[in-house]
Amino acid sequence: MRYGGDNRGRLLIIVLVVTALFLITLDLRGVHVIGGLRTGTQTALTPVQKAGSWVVSPLRNFITDVTHLGRTRNQIAKLKDENDKLRLILQDRKVADAQLTQLKSVLNLAGKAGFKIVSAKVISQGSSTSFTQTITIDAGTSSGVHTNMTVLSGYGLVGVVKYAYASSALIQLASDPAFRIGARIAGSQQIGILSGQGTRKGVLQLLDNTTTVHKGDALLARGSENGRPFVPGVPIGQVTSVSNSPGAVTQTADVKFYTNFSTLGVVAVVVSGALADPRDALVPPKPYPTPLPTVTIYATPGAVSPSPTATK
Amino acid sequence: MSLRSLFLSSPIFLAIYLFQEGFVTQLRLPGGGLNLLLVFAIIWSALSTPEIGALTGFGAGIAMDLSQTSPGPLGHWTLVLIIACYAIAFLGYGDDNIRGNPINIVLLTAVGVVASQIVYLILGLMLGQEIGSTGNILFLLAGSAFWTAIVSPLLLKVISYPHANIFGSRTQI
Repeated sequence: MRYGGDNRGRLLIIVLVVTALFLITLDLRGVHVIGGLRTGTQTALTPVQKAGSWVVSPLRNFITDVTHLGRTRNQIAKLKDENDKLRLILQDRKVADAQLTQLKSVLNLAGKAGFKIVSAKVISQGSSTSFTQTITIDAGTSSGVHTNMTVLSGYGLVGVVKYAYASSALIQLASDPAFRIGARIAGSQQIGILSGQGTRKGVLQLLDNTTTVHKGDALLARGSENGRPFVPGVPIGQVTSVSNSPGAVTQTADVKFYTNFSTLGVVAVVVSGALADPRDALVPPKPYPTPLPTVTIYATPGAVSPSPTATK
Repeated sequence: MSLRSLFLSSPIFLAIYLFQEGFVTQLRLPGGGLNLLLVFAIIWSALSTPEIGALTGFGAGIAMDLSQTSPGPLGHWTLVLIIACYAIAFLGYGDDNIRGNPINIVLLTAVGVVASQIVYLILGLMLGQEIGSTGNILFLLAGSAFWTAIVSPLLLKVISYPHANIFGSRTQI
């Protein structure tokens, strides 16, 4: 039999509904007692919630992990991709910074000498399996680069343009065994022939046996007619040792090139030499030793040693 | 219906309320989770007479209104649950097709929970509350129905035992 309700039941429902409406009205009118009820309940519930949080947290973490499994994987993959991209950008930035430094120094050198240059990036390092020392740059005849032009770095001579193509050029490095350049010693102006040895060291052969060369002397390019293949005054290297054999016809010296050929990133091709020979203006300054501060302590036997005192 | 029955019911509801506030709310279940007290009150009402249902709704509603997570004024959930629990109890009372079949009770509970929430929303709109986007509401309602359908069969067995002991064994499933 279905329940049809009676007066008592109806009255109960009416009382309850009216009570609920009364509560709503009181709350909406901002009666403090109602607000106090909620505050009191929350105060009483706080310890339970804290305990619940402590108990539930492992389960909650598990549920969260399971719920976000797909999203977490996607996020990890996305972050990995982003990380790779950022690493690549950072690497490119480092390379660009290094190239910028090289470009600045080569521009300084060329500007000091008054050379007109075309700067270029090294795009390839020649294979040494054929016992040659070459590099390829990304500037060619379209940029005004032609054969037999001097190539510089920020430190000095790099080599000479051996072949020039439309948009690239092959540079014979000064370290190439077949490389020869007329050099003069800064200051004494003695001349000689410098030849590459396949390493960063070259050998200088002086033309006049009566002259003397010293360790630390700077070598500069003597220059060619019309500045090709070599413009005058370009720093080449520094004498590291001198061999004075009594029986030798000419005096020879080992020279260390200023340029480090293995770290070349940006070079400059001198397309037009200076109006006047820069002479010794491009000789790099000798490294000035940085003085180390020294402290001398005198100790007198029997004297009262100072002891630290508290200061206000 | 007697005062003794009501006094015996109160600790059970208090325990469920504490469990809901202390543990269930912190689980952060997907789909909005569920309100255990609401499900419990609806099932309890489905097994009770309409008067008991209305009183159950009143008590559970007051408890839910006192919850800090309830945005509405005090009495909001109370009003909704009085009506919902009374209606659920009224529908099931005396009809053995409903009371005798646990699947029907689960179905009635799921529908009752969703209907209560819809009435709560409508009443909230009338009281000037912000209810959010329709998509979110539908998502939460679907989640609530899902969780209720999951939890109800488990709760039903648990509830029917104390309910039968308090109000008589005739309603035990």
